[in-house]
Amino acid sequence: MSSRLPVAALSLKQFLQRQKVLGIYRNMLRTIRQVPDEADRKYLRDWARSEFKRNKDATNQDAIRMMITQASNHLEELQKSLALARS
Amino acid sequence: MAARVLQQCVRSLARPSLRLCPVNLALRPAVAPTVTVHRLLSFAADSRRTRWLEQSRISSVGVFCRQYGDLPPLTIETIKDRVMYVLKLYDKINPEKLQTTSHFMKDLGLDSLDQVEIIMAMEDEFGFEIPDAEAEKLMTPEEIVQYIADKKDVYE
Repeated sequence: MSSRLPVAALSLKQFLQRQKVLGIYRNMLRTIRQVPDEADRKYLRDWARSEFKRNKDATNQDAIRMMITQASNHLEELQKSLALARS
Repeated sequence: MAARVLQQCVRSLARPSLRLCPVNLALRPAVAPTVTVHRLLSFAADSRRTRWLEQSRISSVGVFCRQYGDLPPLTIETIKDRVMYVLKLYDKINPEKLQTTSHFMKDLGLDSLDQVEIIMAMEDEFGFEIPDAEAEKLMTPEEIVQYIADKKDVYE
C-alpha cells in the first residue's frame, strides 16, 4: 500500500515545530513593535530576520529544538527589558 | 463701570463666534443663532455674572453642529488599495509582478517568514490584530482583502 502523501510533506512533529517557530517569530515582531526608538526597532527587526533566515534550512530536530529555546530566551529578555524600561 | 468693561469683553469674544455663525447658518438655516447672540449681549451687559460663565455660554453659541472624530469608512476598493500599497512597499516583492491573485509562496517566491512579516504589516496598517491560526492561511492579497472586509463588516 503506497502512501498518498507527497514526498515533501512534513511529519506531525516537524509540522508542529514549524508552527512553533512561526509563532515565535510573530511574537518577536510584536514585542519589537513596542520598543520606543525607531532606529532600535529597525535594528532588532533586521537582527531577528537574519537570525531566523540563517537557520532556515536546519533539518536536525534537536538543533531546531535548541534554536527554539534560544529564541524564546531572547524574546523573554526583550520583554523583561521593555517592562523595566516602561516602569 | 464694571458692567461696561464686561460688555466690551463680551463683544470682543462674541465677534469670532459671529464669524462662525454664517457657516452654521449655511448648514442649518435658522434665525436662532443671531437672536441668541443679541440676547446674550444684553444679558451680559445687565447683570454681574461671573466671567467664566459668560465665556462658557459664548463658546456654546458658536458651535451648532456636533463634531465627532472617526476614521473614514472602509470600502472593498479602499481596503484593496491599501493592501496593495503596503505590499508594494515591502522590499522583497517586485511591484511589477504583483497582482491581487498572486500567491505569496508560489508566484512571488516568498517563504513563511516573509508571509508572517506581511501579515504583521497589514495588522499595523489596519490597526487590529490577526490571530495566528487565521494569519497563516492568508496566501494572496485577495484573501487578505476578503478577511479584512469580513472582520470589519464591509459589504458591497
